[in-house]
Formats: sequence, structure tokens, C-alpha cells
Amino acid sequence: MPSVPAVIGEFSVLPISVPPLPSFPRHVIHYLYVRRNTPKIPTATDARSLFLTNVPVDSTEAHLRALFASLVGAGRFESATFEDERKDAHSQSQSQSPIDVAQPAHVARLLQAHSSKKRKREGDDEAERAREEEAAARLPSTWTRPLRRSGSTAVVLLADEKSVEQVLRAIAKTHKTNKYPAWGGSDHLPEGRVPPLGSLWLRAHNRLSYPDREALQATVDAFSALFARREQEAAEVAKRLRNEPDEDGFVTVTRGGRAAPASRTEAEEAKRKMLDRNEKKKEELTNFYRFQLRERKKAEQAELLKRFEDDRRKLEALRVKRGKFVPDA
Amino acid sequence: MDSAPAKRRKLDHRKDATDVALESAALTGISRSRAFVLETDELLDSVRLDYGAAFEGADGLLHRIKGAVEGIKAQEALPAAEATSKLEKKHKIKVPFPDPRPHENSNYKVTFAKPAQFNVVGSYVSKTMITTQEGHGVDMVLVLPQEILQEKDYLDLRYFYKRAYYLAVIAAALRKEMGSEAELSYEHLNGNPLCPVLAIQPTASKPKDMDKRMLDYRIRIIPCAPDGFFPKAKLHLGASLVRKGREGDANTSSEPTPFYTSTLVAETCFLSYLKALKQAEKKCAAFKDACILGRIWLQQRGFGGSISQGGFGHFEWAVLLALLLQGGENKGQAALSASLSSTQLFKALIQFLSMTNFAEKPCVFGSANPDVEPLLEYGPVLYDSARQLNIAFKMGPWSAALLHQHAKWTRSLLASRAADQFNPTFILKTDVPSHTYDFVARIDIDKASRESGSDSRGQAWQLSTQVYLILRRALADKEMGERARLIHIQTQACAPWHLAEEPKAPKSSPLEVGILFDPVNMARTVDRGPSAGPSAQEKEECESFRRFWGDKSELRRFERDTIRETLIWTSTTPFDLCEEIMRYALGLHLRIGHLHDEIIAHGNGVPSLLSLKPADKTLFNVAKKAFGTFERDIRDLEDLPLRASGKWPESLVAIQRTKIAFLLMIGRLLETSKPDEIKTHVGLENSKYETENLSFLDVVYESGPSFRLRIHSDLEESLLERQVKDKTAEQYLRQRATTLLATFRRLYTNLPLHNQYMSTSSTRFPALSPTIRLVKHWFNAHKLSYHFTEEFIELAVLHVFLTPYPWDAPTSASTGFHRTLLFVAHWDWRSEPLVLDTSGEMPAAERTSIATRLEAWRKIDPNMNHTVLFVATAQEPSGVAWTTLDGQPKPSKVVATRMTALARTATRLVREQGVELDCRRLFVPSLREYDVLIHLNGKALRSTLKTYAAIDPEDEGENSVGRPAKFKNLDEHTGMEPLPLAQHPAELFLEHLSATYGGPLVFFRGGVEDNTIGAIWNPQVQKRTFKVNLPTSYKPVAAQKRSIGDEDGDDKGESVEVNKEAILSEIARIGADLVERIEVRGV
Repeated sequence: MPSVPAVIGEFSVLPISVPPLPSFPRHVIHYLYVRRNTPKIPTATDARSLFLTNVPVDSTEAHLRALFASLVGAGRFESATFEDERKDAHSQSQSQSPIDVAQPAHVARLLQAHSSKKRKREGDDEAERAREEEAAARLPSTWTRPLRRSGSTAVVLLADEKSVEQVLRAIAKTHKTNKYPAWGGSDHLPEGRVPPLGSLWLRAHNRLSYPDREALQATVDAFSALFARREQEAAEVAKRLRNEPDEDGFVTVTRGGRAAPASRTEAEEAKRKMLDRNEKKKEELTNFYRFQLRERKKAEQAELLKRFEDDRRKLEALRVKRGKFVPDA
Repeated sequence: MDSAPAKRRKLDHRKDATDVALESAALTGISRSRAFVLETDELLDSVRLDYGAAFEGADGLLHRIKGAVEGIKAQEALPAAEATSKLEKKHKIKVPFPDPRPHENSNYKVTFAKPAQFNVVGSYVSKTMITTQEGHGVDMVLVLPQEILQEKDYLDLRYFYKRAYYLAVIAAALRKEMGSEAELSYEHLNGNPLCPVLAIQPTASKPKDMDKRMLDYRIRIIPCAPDGFFPKAKLHLGASLVRKGREGDANTSSEPTPFYTSTLVAETCFLSYLKALKQAEKKCAAFKDACILGRIWLQQRGFGGSISQGGFGHFEWAVLLALLLQGGENKGQAALSASLSSTQLFKALIQFLSMTNFAEKPCVFGSANPDVEPLLEYGPVLYDSARQLNIAFKMGPWSAALLHQHAKWTRSLLASRAADQFNPTFILKTDVPSHTYDFVARIDIDKASRESGSDSRGQAWQLSTQVYLILRRALADKEMGERARLIHIQTQACAPWHLAEEPKAPKSSPLEVGILFDPVNMARTVDRGPSAGPSAQEKEECESFRRFWGDKSELRRFERDTIRETLIWTSTTPFDLCEEIMRYALGLHLRIGHLHDEIIAHGNGVPSLLSLKPADKTLFNVAKKAFGTFERDIRDLEDLPLRASGKWPESLVAIQRTKIAFLLMIGRLLETSKPDEIKTHVGLENSKYETENLSFLDVVYESGPSFRLRIHSDLEESLLERQVKDKTAEQYLRQRATTLLATFRRLYTNLPLHNQYMSTSSTRFPALSPTIRLVKHWFNAHKLSYHFTEEFIELAVLHVFLTPYPWDAPTSASTGFHRTLLFVAHWDWRSEPLVLDTSGEMPAAERTSIATRLEAWRKIDPNMNHTVLFVATAQEPSGVAWTTLDGQPKPSKVVATRMTALARTATRLVREQGVELDCRRLFVPSLREYDVLIHLNGKALRSTLKTYAAIDPEDEGENSVGRPAKFKNLDEHTGMEPLPLAQHPAELFLEHLSATYGGPLVFFRGGVEDNTIGAIWNPQVQKRTFKVNLPTSYKPVAAQKRSIGDEDGDDKGESVEVNKEAILSEIARIGADLVERIEVRGV
């Protein structure tokens, strides 16, 4: 067996031995690359977390827990966050919530500022309640477990800084002893802790794709309530905006009476009408003057010439591409 | 006036460069034909021969031949038999007498004297040969001296006996002269058995460094008769000039011998036509080019001067053109102007040919007005009265019909505004029977042997004529509705033979009958003949009908109390009907087809693979009807919220949730309206974002059919549009909105229009729907279908029907399938959009803008990562609705290339093997080309098809999957309703694999039943330097390998390579019991 480098770049290489399967009866080594977690924006837990890349596609927290247990013993592993989950979290923090209320962009921005201010003011209780509400409105997942993109990353949070040290040492040791930890070994991965893949996984998915009618209705109702409230809030903000100058001191002029801002459909209708009017006006005035006719003729000639040139150019391109024009034999 | 000076100014600047360009632009005509003209010029340039280089040494050789022939001593006249045996003994050369040979005891005298004239004729002198033609020949005619002929030689083949002997003497002399420098053989001039000629092929002794442009040409020595030697009055078309039978006994019948007579006339016309062509060339500058175009056009359609090639070749084309230039049917007035350009002449002649079928209406040139009408019985008539020659004498009625048909097709192509006119006219080879005919049968003549008659073209020809006449009566009866649009017969050519041998009869020379269907009439199972009325005329008609159809004809009563002679056929498909009728008619009249292998029918190979049946249509109709019921059930729902609510929330997320609420409500309403018939389930889509469609409603009818319902909301589209246009939004959000918008439009706008259009088209083209099924089957068989939308395949097939050039729309699934493959093989999707004029009147500007759009795509995305195939219709001009899915090209460039390669291989196979090809071979996937094969476990897959709301599959797990119930009807779920299937498990599995391994692997899979997934490693994802963001699973490259080469290579970073085994092991884990075996090839 060729020797495997223990370190690659700033990563430690952790070979994992994957047991053979009946459908692919080979003993395979998967390589996990591990280093200390040093994100661009530091967080409080960086010191006791590890950054992993090239995690196996069927990774779950339980898998990683078992893996780390086999390296440094049980009890050191706290949690794992996978690449796709982190991305979700990121995009959520950006748009506050998946439930966006359609508004002109600047209103939406102001609304956001408004609500975050409000949230800060009213404290964690309010935020907690909002999260609960959103969770109730969320649709059930249709998968018992996700797959990770091939070659993706994860961050593992360990019990303390010492554990990080220990893990890295244990990894270095595997290279000396050539004893690689096993992936998904049943000794560490208790039966039933991880939902199975394969046909059961797909069957479970099919079952989850048709959720119970009442439960579904409940999420829909929860959503409607939440949405109605958000809309209400948005409307209020928009109303207030009529009188409130923005950061640069301008007051946005919004159409509509005192009751509510103008609806979008109305605006679009007006725009269409205006375009129609313009079109009509234009039509009436074409070919009215003689110079227009003359110019049109000129344009037609130019067009003819252009098309002729185009054809020639195309032919030239064809010749370059095909070589010669020869009938099929 | 003030406009005058402007005018003058314009005159001064007349030689302006733009004006010149404008003039040349105007010269080439309107825009659509301009491209055609330019391309045709290009074609002429590239096929033109460099005569000096190509025929180097030919002139010298001709002079040598002339010298050698002149050096032959004149001989004494001897009786044929004696002279022949003398020649055979002395030179070991057979005299190539036509059949029947001169009688042993006949006292015809044959002899040799110096030729009266030598002349080089044909395309060598007119310089109209092209690089791509089949065999280049230099024709030299030797005019027989008058002294060795007698006036009465026109009778009973005597002239041809003398001519044959003359040729043999020359052959002997030339063989002596050339020695080993050339190979000599006999062949029939244009396959005419009366006229053997001598072919001289210079032995390939050209040095290697010689000009590559030099051709392997042949020189043909053609003896002919002196012009005007035979009395013209005796050689009229109706003359009967062969009066002696095979055995020498006098043939009392005075049946006309038009072929014999025409051959004799043609023998005297060589020089006259040479002159005529020269004149035409001189008079009309574009004549030669027009002849070359004609040669190409004919050649691509399999036409040639030889009898087996239809008897209409370059010579006939040129003569016809010359006659039209000289003065057409109207006396004195030339039909065509000599100032026309080559393309205009070409188009004019195509027009001419498309208006006249020589087999149906005689076409006469010149002032004389001979009575040619009755001669149509013997063959097509194209009569040049100045020379008394029927130019079409080598044509059969079928080849005249085929020529007419091809001309009609080409004319409609040249009239089409939209189609590419150039390629189908000149480039595409269209002589493959499987592409042209819906039905091809081979008739073995040896087994169907017949007594010989008076036609000099031999037995096979006579049989062909009989077969043709019978089939035409049987299949193209105008009264009953023509079943066949075209019946064609292909005869076999006689190969050149050695000087010392007799001409070899082709070993087994089957006649090939090709039939083009009228799809509606050919599907008819009951033929209604003439009505059996009391009048004399009706009686006669019935009599004749019964005479032809024999016992098959029976009297039947139809509606409105008419009683008719009727034929009832037992077959059901057009193909089988055609075969049944053909076997019956030929068996009845020619007593062939009773033996099993006398008639072998081809052309049904592909359709029979799918066992397409006319009954399939009723099944489709059942499904359609079920849909109608479903639609009515929905419409009948009272208080359907959709109708009431025109107000959707102005938020995508909210719209999607509202849809769920609607679906739940519709489901409830449907179940209450028909409680025992309908079960509904709201399902969740496999969606990624809250803004895309989240749900659907599966409606399952107790009677079998089930439907999936999704809700269309207009507002969703305008909200998405707004997001796409919103410049303030973040890029990734706009990108996402673009993708969602595309999906929205595909699903709710384009798909309904597409379906509607396809269903109308299937009614318009009966062969369309079976063709689509066949082509889909082909895509499945080659594991391509996973990468293609069905709509794309449907449009590709439809294109072959809408733009069928150079043919007409396919009339059977078989031709449709072959032509679709041909199209796919030829489609250069890198630079050509596929445009379907689904509205029938797509303006040229629209086409141009579609082409421009593709160009623009190629400019922004030259590697084709986002857009590969481009398919636009009038309803969907964006061109990417069916070829991109979720922002990904479908298919990718790799797969599209594979599609083209597979189609090319298939068409090559079809071309090489002809009708005898075992069509199953076209559908055999070549698994060797995949790096990895993932074999799915069919049993495990089936187990995933059924799930139950109340049972968690994990609990059920080991109990039922491992041990199937003993009795299927008694398993534990009896009485429980299974859930619908949201998506087929194998498809779902594959989608996951593709999403997970989009970088390193490309997966291939066919239809629903395909349990083998093929995969290819992406060559672009391989060894690389280590980075944090890896596109897939990598392993470090072994340390010692690295240390040899680059000790100091650390700054470059460490390289890693794809950990293929780990990936496959992961796939095995994902699939678990679904994957039976992963097969790795070529590692």
C-alpha cells in the first residue's frame, strides 16, 4: 500500500476505511481532510471546533460522532454543522425569514430595519415566539435524511480545546499504526439511530411526500396567520413612510389616498394604457411626410445590402467550418 | 424643382462601391434564394474537375487507341458463326453478341473495315464531370463504315450482331496494343443488353508522388451506326423490327418493339446530339453549370443513364435542357431563355420535370406530331422528333414516376420560404430505400422464372413490368382510393465481364419493389369496388374487377342500398395490408409468392419492435376520455374557490402556500362529489425553495386512471418577472427567479400549447405518433432519455414531418424513424437552431431573430455550459424551453455529442446494410463505452413502488422486503389503499446521484424499465492541486510518487486525484439494496 501523506496543505489527512458492500465488494479508503476551524468571521466556538472537508455524502451527525468516538473516545463530540445547513442559515439571516412580503425594495428594506429594531427592543421572548410561529408554518420535510454534495465541508464542534488537540494527534497516529477508523461501523453506530438509505429511504420519502391532510392544513393556516400579520405590519410601515424622511432626508412620495398605498395592478394598468397611447400616436405619423418615405426606402436598401453581406459572411463561415461543399457519397 | 439637382448628383456617383454591392445584391434575387445561389456557386466550385490533372495522359491514350484501330486490316466478310469461331480460336476472345445469339446456320456476314469516323463524346468533351461522381469515363465513338452494313440490318438484331463482331475485333487489336498497361472488359452501354462496349481501364501504374487529383478514369469504345443510314420511315416508334423468335422461327405477331427501335435510332444519333449540346453550350453561358447541377441532383437521388438506375442521367438532362433552350413545345419559340443563370436553368428544368410525368403523358419536342399516345403502354415517352428518338426509352414507367415525384418534392422545397433549400437539393443522398419507401419487398426472379418475350431488355425487365402493372392496378386504383402514392421497382445491373467470357447473369437478381403509402388509404381494410348495377357499363366494370381480383371479390350491400364488388382484407396495419394485397395479386396473376421466400417484405422491422398496433389508438382514446371526465368533474365542482378568487397574495411564498390550501379544498370537494370513485392525495414537490411550486394533488379514480393537478396563478409569473428585472436585488436571487420563471412558463404556458399542437399534428400526420414512440424508444435504448425532455424528442420528430425535404412528410413510422435519425445525424446544433414553423406562417424576421438569439448565446457561452440545443417554435421562440431544465442544459454538450454520434452510426448502418438490416441492431446499447455500470435490483425497485400512509417503511422493513408474501392477494396490506407514487424510485435515485456527483460523473439511463445506469467519468474533473472547496471526493496522490519529481513542489500545493473507488462505494451505500452490482470497466 503506498504511503499516504499525513498532512496536505494545512489539513491533516484522516483516512477512513469503508467496509465492502455486497454490491461493491472492495475495501475502500475515503480521505477526510481536517484542520482547526478559522472562519473569516470569527465566532466564539472557533477554538473548540474543527473544519472538515471532503465529508462522505452519506454523513450524518451520528456518523461523525461515531468517527470521533473511535478516534478519541466517547463524550468529546458535541455537534456537527454541514455545508448545506450553514448555507441555509446564512441565507435565512439575510432575508430574515423565508416569508417575504412583496413590497417595493426600499419599503422592504425599511421594513427589515424596523422589525430588527423592534426585535432588539422587545427582546428574546418576541424572537422566540416568531421562530415558533415560523416553525409551525414550515412544511414537513419529505426526506428522512439528506445527502451531502460530494466533496463538501462540515464544522464539528468538540467539547473543549483540548479535544481538538487530541483529535489532531489521533489522526497523526493513524498514519503510524495504519489502523484507520471505520465508516459507519455498527459497533459505534447503534442500530436505528440513523435512518437507512436505499429502498427504505425512498419509500419513506414517498410516504412523507403525502403528509397527513390535517397536519398540512394546520401549517397552511399557521402560515396564513403569520402572513396576514406581516402584511399588516408592512402596510403600516408603508403608511408611515409617507411622512417619514429617509436617511438622506427625502420623503418618498407614494400614490394612493390615506387608506392604503396604490396596488401594483393599478400601476401596471396605467402604464399599459400610456404605452398604447404612445403607440397609436406613432402609428398615425408614419409615412405621413415625404422624407419619411424616402428614408424608409433608404433603410430598406441598406437592409438588403446588410442581409446580402450577412449571407456572404455566413457562407464564408460555413466554408471555414465544413471545408468544401461536396455532395454526400 | 428642387429634386432635380439631387438626381444629377446621384448620376455622378454611379460607380460608388455601395452601388456596385447593391447591384450584386439585387442580382442574386430575393433573400431566400440568395443563400441558395451563393451556396450553389460554392458547390460548383468545389466539385469542378481540373481536367488537365485529372485526365493526365488520357488524350495520348485516345490517340494511341485511334492509331491501333486504324491499323487493323480490313477483313473479308464471313458468315457470323465462322468468323466468331475464328476470332475465338485466334485471340481467345468471345464476341459479345446480344441475346438471342445469331443462329448457327444463319448466313449473316460479319466483317471489319476501318471506322468511318472517330469521335470523343460525352461529359469528357463537355467538361461537365464532377469529382464526386461514380466512375469517370471517357467515351469514344467509332462510326461503323457504311460498306460493312446493309440497309436491312435494322431488322432482327442484325446490326447489333455486326456491331458486336466489330467490337470484338477491336478488342483483340487493342489488347495486343495495350498489353499489361490497361485492363480490357466488355460492358453494356447504359445497361442496354443490345449494345456492348469495350472498357479500357489503364492499370494503376501512376507513381506515388503523382498528382492526387488524377482520377482512375476509363475509356469506353463505343461503336455506332452512321447518321441517317437506316431508313427513317421504318424506324418509327410503333415499328415491329424483331420478327424472329428465339429459335429462329418467324414470329408472326407484329407487336411493336419500341425499345429495340429506339436503341437503333440512338445508335445513329451520337454525333447529332454532340452537335446539339455544343451549340447549346455556345448559346447559353450557364448551360454547362446547369448540367453539372443536374448531374448532382440526379446522382443524389440514385438516377443515372443506366437502365437499372432509371435510365435518366446526365445525358438525358443535358439533352432535355438543350431542347428547351432550342425551342420548346411551341413552334420556334424557345421555352427557356439563354440568358438565365445556372440556378435558374436548374429550377426551370425541375419545374418542367415536376409538371410532366412521361409515363402518363407523352412529351414531344419539335414540329412533327407523331401518334405517340398508344406507345405509353410500352413505357414513358419523351420524344425528340428532329432525331426521331424517344429520349426516355431506357426508363420504366416507375422510374418516370419517381423522377416526377422527386422533381415535385424538390420544387416544393425550392418554393418553401423557410427551409434550407441547398442541402436537401444537392448534398443529402436520398437513394436509401428505407428512407424513401414505407414498404420494400424483394422478389426472387429465379424462382419466379418466366418464358421470355420480345423485349430486348430481358426476362427481369419483363417481369418487372408485369409486377409493376399488377401492383399499380392493385394498390393505386383511383376509384377505390390510391393506397400507394408511388410504386418503384429496382432492377439489378449487369456487371462488366471479361473478354473471354459470356456476360455473367447476376447470380440471384431479386427485384426490389418499393412502395410509398398513402397512410389513410393504406389502412383501409375493406375495398369498395364498382357497384353491381344493371347497366352494361356497370356490368363490364364488375366483370373487369372480378377478372383482376378473382375469388377475393365478393358482393356486399352497403348503406343506401348499394351493392358493390368488395374486397375484405384480414390484416390491420398499413404495412401488413400492403403485403397481403401484394402477395395475393402477384400470386393470382404471376403465380409468385406462394413459396415462402419468393417475396420477402422489409420495412416493418423497426415498428414491429414496439409491436405498434392500430388498436393502440383506442387505448390513447380511453386515456383522453378519462381526462375529459376528470376535467368535467373539476368544472362541475360547486363553489370552486379558484373561480371566485381573482386575488392572489402579492408574495410568491404566500402564493405557493395558498395553492396548497386550494389543493386541499379541491381534493375534499372532489371526494365529496364522487365519494366512491375518487381518492385524492396532496403531495409535496421535491422543491428547494419556498418560492417555487410546493405541492400537487393526485386524483386517483377507482376505475384506474389517475391525474396530477397543479395550480396556475398568473400573478406568480408577473412577480417572478419583476424579480428578474429588479436591478436592486442580489444576483443569486435574480438568477433563481430566472430559473423559476423558465420552469413556470414551461409548465403553464408552453406545455399546454405544445400538447395541443402535437395532438393536432398527430391527426394531420397519421404516422407522427408511432414515429414519436419509435424515436423515444431509440433514445431509451441508448440510455439517452434521462438527459432529454420528451417534448424535445417530439419536436425533433415533428420537424421531420413539417420540413420533410427532399421528400414529402413521412407516411409510415418506419420512414419517419429513419428520417428522424438522418436529421439528428446531420443537425449541426452548434451553429443551427432547430426552427419549427408551427404557425405555418412564421415571418422571416422571426427566423432571423431566432438565429441571432442562438448566435448571441454562443457568444456569451461558447463552451455551452448553459445552452446547448436550441429548439424554437412559433409559440416558443425563446428556443430553450425544452432544452434547459432548472438552469441546466438538457442535454449537456457531452450528451448531445453522443446523440449525434449514435445517430450517425445508425444512419451509416442503415445505408450500408440497406433494407436487409436487422433493425434490432439499431436499438442495442453499447455498454462498453461506459466506465461504470450500476445494475439496479428490480425486485427492490418494485418493492418501493407501494407505500402506505399508515405504515412506516422502516418498521415494515425486514418483514416484507426480505420475505415476500406467499400469496400475493393475501399479503398483510390487503384492503389498504397504497399511496400514489410521487416519482419513480429509480428516477429519484438517479436524480440524487446526479445532484451529488454532478462534477465527476455523467449518468445515462433509458426509460422506466431500464435497470442499468451507465456512467462516465468526466475527464475534466481529475488530478488537481488540493483546495478547500473540492468538486468531489479526492484522495492524496501517494507520497513517494511526488517526491521523485518535485521536491520543491510544495509551493504549488499538493495534488490530489479523484477517489473513484470511494465514490462508487458511496453510491453503493446510497443505493443499498437498490443496487445489485456496480460494475467497473476499463480501470
